[in-house]
Amino acid sequence: MPTAIGQELVALLPRLRRFALVLCRSPSLADDLVQGACERALANPDSWTPGTRFDAWMFRILRNHWIDHLRRTKAEGMAEDITTHTQLIGDPGEGPILSRLVLSEVQRAIDSLPLDQREVLVLVCGEDLTYREAADILHVPIGTVMSRLARARRRLVELTAAA
Amino acid sequence: MSELHLSDEVLMAFADGELDEPVAAAVARAMADDPRVARRIVDFQQSRRLTRTAYSGELMPEVPPALLAAVSAQIEAYEAKEHRTVITNLAEERKRRLRAEPRLLRMALAASIAVVACGIGYWAGRQGNDRTDDLVARLDDSAIHRELSRVASGEEVELPFGRLRVISSYRLENGSLCREFRLAHAKEIADAVACLRDGWNVTFALAGAATDAGYVPSGAGDPMAAYLQAVGAGEPLVGDAEANALREVAR
Repeated sequence: MPTAIGQELVALLPRLRRFALVLCRSPSLADDLVQGACERALANPDSWTPGTRFDAWMFRILRNHWIDHLRRTKAEGMAEDITTHTQLIGDPGEGPILSRLVLSEVQRAIDSLPLDQREVLVLVCGEDLTYREAADILHVPIGTVMSRLARARRRLVELTAAA
Repeated sequence: MSELHLSDEVLMAFADGELDEPVAAAVARAMADDPRVARRIVDFQQSRRLTRTAYSGELMPEVPPALLAAVSAQIEAYEAKEHRTVITNLAEERKRRLRAEPRLLRMALAASIAVVACGIGYWAGRQGNDRTDDLVARLDDSAIHRELSRVASGEEVELPFGRLRVISSYRLENGSLCREFRLAHAKEIADAVACLRDGWNVTFALAGAATDAGYVPSGAGDPMAAYLQAVGAGEPLVGDAEANALREVAR
């Protein structure tokens, strides 16, 4: 019998939605993507190999779903109201390393990156995936992950140097 | 390593702990020798820290209740379907098993269920067939015992003497764990139940050739089902319940 993945999916929802927002920048589309990815995962639970990272598997499904969506709509990128993703910042609460202001700046800098750099940056530096895991999710060679990631991070440092 | 090219990618991989030795050692030496190299590495560490902070759990946007509700409904629907599938599969297993059993055997079994229920191990299906006898003899093999303590229901394991498929797990009223499984080799199959008491003991087995000949629609009930009912097996353990039971066995 396939492993029950329902509980793990629910626990992963916030991070799935966050990654979906990184990809599409539209909260309503992000919700649709997450829902579609969960549907795919539930229909094919056996495609997850126990012992490997469940989150990496879900990120891959989510991204594939996003790519399929792009193919269907033939959209180059979704440009819904860009201010909507300021909600990503949220309330920093007690003891954040950076001030809310700086965080907004970092967030804006990340959002200004091209999608191919943004997604690899979030997977490796935000989600702590290895280069290999990111390469598997993005269907690119590990060298491509490294070059995109290095470009993204150089740019991030430049953009936030004054912060 | 004297020719090591300190590209951004190499320094970044160093900052991320993704470099293998001895390249990492060479970068560490270069970093000690040249503050500019160190600065570039620090920048990569800083960019990681910034990104991680911007995406830290504290700042996670809340999942809209509508999304949570939609996904929860999906999960419920799939888990309900999965449950039905399992039952269908078990029924299919039993149908296949019945096809493999001569009618006479089933009748003999029906008469013997009471004996089985007293906890005496019972062998059925000895057909005077050497291969089947071999298979039945293998049911108590230590390799099978090992897999019974480990493998989840529904999984198959290839053993040197046949293919083992664990079908289900049950907890008897006295608390002991029992597992129904099938061992198949060539055209021979044996279905058995083993219970855990000072190690695995096969308490019931059916064996025969896996052919469609001699199939009689079940009217008198399935011997395996009758056995499981007689020993008070109840509902099969699924998901976490089974995983927990197996963890206890492993202890």
